[in-house]
Amino acid sequence: MVGLAATFGSGAMTNSINDFDEADLFLVTGSNTTEQHPLIGSRIINAKQRGAQLLIIDPRDIPLAKFADLHLRHNIGTDVAVLNGMMNVIIEEGLYDKEFVATRTENFEQLKEVVSKYPPKTVEKISGIAAADLKKAARMYAKADKAMIAYAMGITQHTTGVDNVKSCANLAMLTGHLGRAAVGVNPLRGQNNVQGACDMGGLPNVYSSYQPVIDAAVKKKFEDAWKVEGLDDKPGLTITDMMDAAQKGELKALYIMGENPLMSDPNTTHIEQSLSNLDFLVIQDIFLSETAKKADVVLPAASFAEKEGTYTNTERKAQLAYQAVSPPGQARPDWQIICAVSKLAGYPMDYASPADIMKEINSLSPSYGGITYERLSNNTGLQWPCPNVEHPGTAFLHKDKFSKGLGTFMPCEFKPPAEMPDDEYDFMLTTGRVYYQFHTGTMTRRVNILEREAPEALLEINPDDAKKLGIRNKEKVEVSSRRGSVQLKAEVTERVPPKVVFSTFHFNEACINLLTNSAFDPVAKIPEYKSCAVKIRRCA
Amino acid sequence: MKTLAKKDINKILGIWAQKHALLAPAKMDNGDCIFGAFNEKTFTLDYKKPPLSPKSFFFPQAEVIFRVENNKYNEVVAAKKGLIFGLRSCDMMGIRQSSSFMFRDNEDIYYKAKQSSAAMVVMACPHAQNETCFCTTTLSGPVAKKGFDLQLYDTGDVFLVEVGSPRGEELLVGIPLAEMEESKAKQKIDEFIKKARQSIPEVKLVASAMEKLKDKKVAEKVWDDFGAKCITCGGCAFVCPTCTCFNVYDHQYSPGNGLRLRAWDACLYGGFTREASGHNPRASQALRLKRRHEHKLLDYNSTDIQDGLCGCVGCGRCSDYCPVHIGTLEVVKAIAG
Amino acid sequence: MKRTRSVCPFCGCGCSFYILSEGDRVVGIEPSPENPVNKGMLCVKGWNAHEFIHSPERLTKPLIRKKGELVEASWEEALKLVAEKLLGIKEKFGPRALAFLCSAKVSNEENFLFMKLARAAFKTNNVDHCARL
Ligand code: SF4
Ligand code: SF4
Ligand code: SF4
Ligand code: SF4
Repeated sequence: MVGLAATFGSGAMTNSINDFDEADLFLVTGSNTTEQHPLIGSRIINAKQRGAQLLIIDPRDIPLAKFADLHLRHNIGTDVAVLNGMMNVIIEEGLYDKEFVATRTENFEQLKEVVSKYPPKTVEKISGIAAADLKKAARMYAKADKAMIAYAMGITQHTTGVDNVKSCANLAMLTGHLGRAAVGVNPLRGQNNVQGACDMGGLPNVYSSYQPVIDAAVKKKFEDAWKVEGLDDKPGLTITDMMDAAQKGELKALYIMGENPLMSDPNTTHIEQSLSNLDFLVIQDIFLSETAKKADVVLPAASFAEKEGTYTNTERKAQLAYQAVSPPGQARPDWQIICAVSKLAGYPMDYASPADIMKEINSLSPSYGGITYERLSNNTGLQWPCPNVEHPGTAFLHKDKFSKGLGTFMPCEFKPPAEMPDDEYDFMLTTGRVYYQFHTGTMTRRVNILEREAPEALLEINPDDAKKLGIRNKEKVEVSSRRGSVQLKAEVTERVPPKVVFSTFHFNEACINLLTNSAFDPVAKIPEYKSCAVKIRRCA
Repeated sequence: MKTLAKKDINKILGIWAQKHALLAPAKMDNGDCIFGAFNEKTFTLDYKKPPLSPKSFFFPQAEVIFRVENNKYNEVVAAKKGLIFGLRSCDMMGIRQSSSFMFRDNEDIYYKAKQSSAAMVVMACPHAQNETCFCTTTLSGPVAKKGFDLQLYDTGDVFLVEVGSPRGEELLVGIPLAEMEESKAKQKIDEFIKKARQSIPEVKLVASAMEKLKDKKVAEKVWDDFGAKCITCGGCAFVCPTCTCFNVYDHQYSPGNGLRLRAWDACLYGGFTREASGHNPRASQALRLKRRHEHKLLDYNSTDIQDGLCGCVGCGRCSDYCPVHIGTLEVVKAIAG
Repeated sequence: MKRTRSVCPFCGCGCSFYILSEGDRVVGIEPSPENPVNKGMLCVKGWNAHEFIHSPERLTKPLIRKKGELVEASWEEALKLVAEKLLGIKEKFGPRALAFLCSAKVSNEENFLFMKLARAAFKTNNVDHCARL
């Protein structure tokens, strides 16, 4: 998000899902696409069959790797070095898009200088990728006509997450793989409305459509529309700052709608202390999640099937969902609960329906100006920016110019992960998802088929390591980090390289985020789920 | 032979809708064509094969089969007097095959209640609905031979009406009808079928694939390659008119209160055959795909096949809706091609 | 049988499907054939999205912590408590002592209202959501 916004001026997926049917080459990095975004993964598999090329940069042997023309299994957390190395080769060999660089970008000299420090031999030492493979990858990507980069949490969930994203953006700009169909830099959003939550201003520094809270004109506009005075004009706290503030006793109350941070956020112990330290915790959700169990008030909400509303998918497309059934018992749609709270707090908000709310969104959020219920009811969705009701929506961004004008190269230096293995904690733990479960499991673990297919957390460990530690398949092991320890079954598999172990965070019986590091990327504040140092032993 | 004027169709459906829960093809405002409760505004005659086959009407994806209320057991065998308008003949064969299976040995009361109370009006196919149709190969189309109450042949301004049962006769009471001379009607139907057959060429590879499966001459690599691609969505089984596997779940709401439901399951899911010990006789996706296609093309119970070719009725849905193109047609090509 | 157009509640692909229902009971899922994202297809999660809706573990009544335990309460009582507590803390410690977490799982309209609640009703920019990607 933040990384792309800095380089292009907009943080969303530049292209569309249908573009996956047209591209000649995919660079997939930090995304286990077939399991996390199955219907994008399937398009990549199909594209391979029609002759497209697939380049994967991922330490794990993910299912998609079977189809890769080239799979670079770099050391965890060395993404920036690998991407810089590719750019080094591309510039050295004159494979970059000179016209695009000259007319659409700025700061090229600076990029050149930084990446000149990453010749393939150096990168080999940092990342473990053979120089020859790196060169091959660089040439493949640069020479393809329509090359799409797709990434997910494997890129962002590092202390260097923003740098990783910026490096992807640099690479795409350098080769002119932007501003057309079937190219671009494409972050794949993990949940059905992460994009929408951001678009609607669910962020401390912006209102809807990314209008900054510090901008006086924006503040005035919202004050007028909302008939209030004195809107806060300084950015608020991010979730990670909130947790710290709670621990310090500066934050007193937290109202959480539909999230389960106790399971989803790193360093569970720290979150738990923060939440316990609050004077007042309100949770509004459909299930009594691990976090809800700690609340002072729990408000029962309606599920997606029990209300009307719009959701914005990873390609910036808003779609309308209607109400199918009534909520159970006394549960209510979130929007009605919010209106009721607001009224009692002395600020009445009166809306007859979600359509009514959308009218206000249309008038206050430029990129959603033309996304009306009337239009959504008889089409299959509209992609923002869609400024007015005549506008057809936008399939790909940055056509003739970037949202901010020229695209800015933001070269980054390689920095190692915050926590590296040492003598005692000698393994790297990395986390992710499995196909059958979703996020913290609150929904999928209540679906019998999904629970049957993936009923428990497993720790993937390489056969060599397993042998050394005397661990057999499906045997119970204990994993410990400096923050906590968890017991779970081992799955001995070549999917992970030696000295790396992998697990998921869906299961509350083996809450893997007890181990993870809450060291944050200093800008995006995305925690480093993707790597921390652990030690492993067989349970007696 | 009786005929119906096409211009009267909405009126006729309106009459039927008074006494039946009437399901008919509908064109939604976003362009989707699916089957739903009859509605004059959305009704369309210009429809293809919706993703779900009509099995979903008799055997819903998730169905409560009993409830326990205050420790009292209440069976739920729900059925309304229904009418399905516009079935394709491949789907009609799908219903015949599934019904045979569901009524064999132990009668499935939940299925039977719904199936036997629904009247079925087949719309014969004047041409292939898309490139995945292969009913002429599986002996299940383009027109139905049995099972329907009424079958309509679209001949332009009028539908020729073939009556298949006494219930079909009843449906015609009080409906504006005309007559066409028998010989002329027969000639029209013959022409209709001939033209339709021409647009749905026989897929010769199906027979050779069946042979090869029988002789166990299929290279394992065929299954390995498909297994590597499959994303295990289960969609091929869910959309298939002749897949009837389900699992049973209990939901307890409070002590003495709860329900049992059954919901579609699929042999493509690993847990479907995993044994309690953890051992799985179909341990890989390749083996699971092999099993599915053997079942469709080789091992289907011979009485359940009816007068079709095999356990596949050639609707082509698995080819239309598999995210990675592993439909029966693709599999047949890989085996025999 | 009723068919209601909806959007898959899981990953960010945004597959569209119809919820099939009988009365207030969801009985199945049918993918939208024309939607350009999924074209009549779904993954295992989408196909099985019907079940958790009727889970016995769904919350059906507001809960309030009393003597350390979460106990059932009326909406009136729960809402009043929320509003009073939040106002009280704002009064005593200022708006920055309050924070609000939006959701990657609820609708755009609801996220918009929630941030409006934080900003307009409680005058704080302490608004974020849980999934920073
Ligand atoms: S397979 Fe045959 S009967 Fe079925 S829809 Fe296609 S043409 Fe019609
Ligand atoms: S196997 Fe495929 S083509 Fe055959 S009946 Fe089933 S869905 Fe239709
Ligand atoms: S529809 Fe295709 S991907 Fe899905 S389970 Fe069947 S074969 Fe596998
Ligand atoms: S059906 Fe699967 S791929 Fe589609 S949105 Fe849902 S979880 Fe994502």
